Amino acid sequence: MSLLSVAGITKRFGGITANRDVSFDVASGELVGIIGPNGSGKSTLFEIISGFYRPDAGEVRLDGGSLTGLSPDRVCRLGVARTFQKLRPFAGLTVVDNVMVGALTRTHDVRHARARARDLLDRVGLAEKADAHARTLSTGQRKRLELARALATEPRVLLLDEVTGGVDQRSIPGLVQLVRDLHRGGLTLLVIEHNMRVITAVAQRIVALYLGEKIADGTPDAVTRDRRVVDAYLGQAYTQ
Amino acid sequence: MRGTWPAVAFFAAAALGPIVVRDAFLLDGLILILLWGASAAAWNVAGGYAGQLSLGHAAFFGLGAYSAALLGTRWGVSPWIGLLVGAGLATAFGFILGFLSNRLRGPYFGLATIAFSQVLLIVASRWRGFTSGSEGIPVPFRPGLWTLGIADKRVWVYLVLLLAALLYLVQLYLERSRRGYQLAAVREDEDAALSLGVPARRLKVAAIAVSAALTAVCGTLWAQYVGFVDPFYVFSVDLSVRFCLAAILGGIGTPLGPFLGAALITILETSLRARFGGIGAGLVGIYLIIYGVVLIVTMRFAPQGLLPWFGEHLRRRPHLGTAP
Repeated sequence: MSLLSVAGITKRFGGITANRDVSFDVASGELVGIIGPNGSGKSTLFEIISGFYRPDAGEVRLDGGSLTGLSPDRVCRLGVARTFQKLRPFAGLTVVDNVMVGALTRTHDVRHARARARDLLDRVGLAEKADAHARTLSTGQRKRLELARALATEPRVLLLDEVTGGVDQRSIPGLVQLVRDLHRGGLTLLVIEHNMRVITAVAQRIVALYLGEKIADGTPDAVTRDRRVVDAYLGQAYTQ
Repeated sequence: MRGTWPAVAFFAAAALGPIVVRDAFLLDGLILILLWGASAAAWNVAGGYAGQLSLGHAAFFGLGAYSAALLGTRWGVSPWIGLLVGAGLATAFGFILGFLSNRLRGPYFGLATIAFSQVLLIVASRWRGFTSGSEGIPVPFRPGLWTLGIADKRVWVYLVLLLAALLYLVQLYLERSRRGYQLAAVREDEDAALSLGVPARRLKVAAIAVSAALTAVCGTLWAQYVGFVDPFYVFSVDLSVRFCLAAILGGIGTPLGPFLGAALITILETSLRARFGGIGAGLVGIYLIIYGVVLIVTMRFAPQGLLPWFGEHLRRRPHLGTAP
């Protein structure tokens, strides 16, 4: 039974088609990766699923209900949370206040929201930074903050845009472990990732995009050996 | 600042004013400080907490001033009713401005707000048959609390103190409530706020409408106190700037800041004018230059405003933004 369903999504910007008839399903509890070269339409797809862009054709459904045309805040309240590729912490607020904003989408009680936020910061390993201003965090910490903030909205599906992008090598294993733990906890995830070692290790399934179109959809093993994926994205060296 | 003790001290001092001081000039100053402080606080709801830098809040102030003055002089309606009508009108106009804020961002929104107050100025100064045009409206003095014909300045102090306290509490709510946190998120990054389920647009519009209504209430009380409504004053850009200046000087997005800023501006202006201004003074207008210099120096050394500056230098603790 698919929880999130992307059906025939097409999005054009002027003469450029960012997504062309993209369809795939994400089952409940599944972790699906999205790969593809720059400009292949991965981020556009995220913007559409999360309600920031309206597709020219096609539909996004969550548990059978359509999300298409809903505002981003509605989409979030219905259970789809996201992180941003270019991180967007509320720089002037403290770390715990950042996460509280997410928690307050589910509770009206400020004190309860603060307790939830502290729990989540503990879970993503940012507990000791809770009272610092978000602007003082490193990139890796900001990624964790965005993760905690999105989780605070109690999503049914979490969209992660580049978990390891721009993060120093030493921080990557910790972040990957975090994603793994979330998945193991039953969360459904859709993850954009450039780091092939990371994505093939965590994803159950991978969708490959190229020039806005889906060119492959299958197990990490099958997709990384797919002729078109190798030609378009991975390069010959990868298979050897 | 975390604690509310500076606010308690401020309002307690204001409440003691009429008991300690009998001088009409000083009481007048206190009333104006509280009125301008309340107006700046009302501006702060939109400008500070929602991050919508309006330069046209005089429009709402003028609506409040005119509503009560016109209803009172033309139909003999109590200014309290006029206050409600003014607040209602301002709310409606606030919704329009709020709608604009979702279309225009940053400087464009600021420009639109100026245009907005200028349109009302033109209407008020040209519609002679109804508003008496550029001559303005003298508010008749009819003794009684219901008609706000109060000669005793001490009563006025407590009246505007009530208003100021209300404005302070509204801001405190915006700092500590769920809606306050959400509004802070919208101010910081609207898209990120949306992605977390915050109904950003509705919140912004609501904040601007509330801010407009409260500004109109200040306008009504100001006009009833001063006793005259001049369109070129109540709808002026000068007045709009005064509101945001007081809030920025005192500490934008802090509940006590606008009152502190208003106190500084009012005291500075009044004392400088008394000293250097007036007919026969050697250097006419020098007080304006000194006034300007003091403002510049203040902003140079306390760019976040006085309240955060005090917080940092007196208590050695950094300003915590919107954290309660």
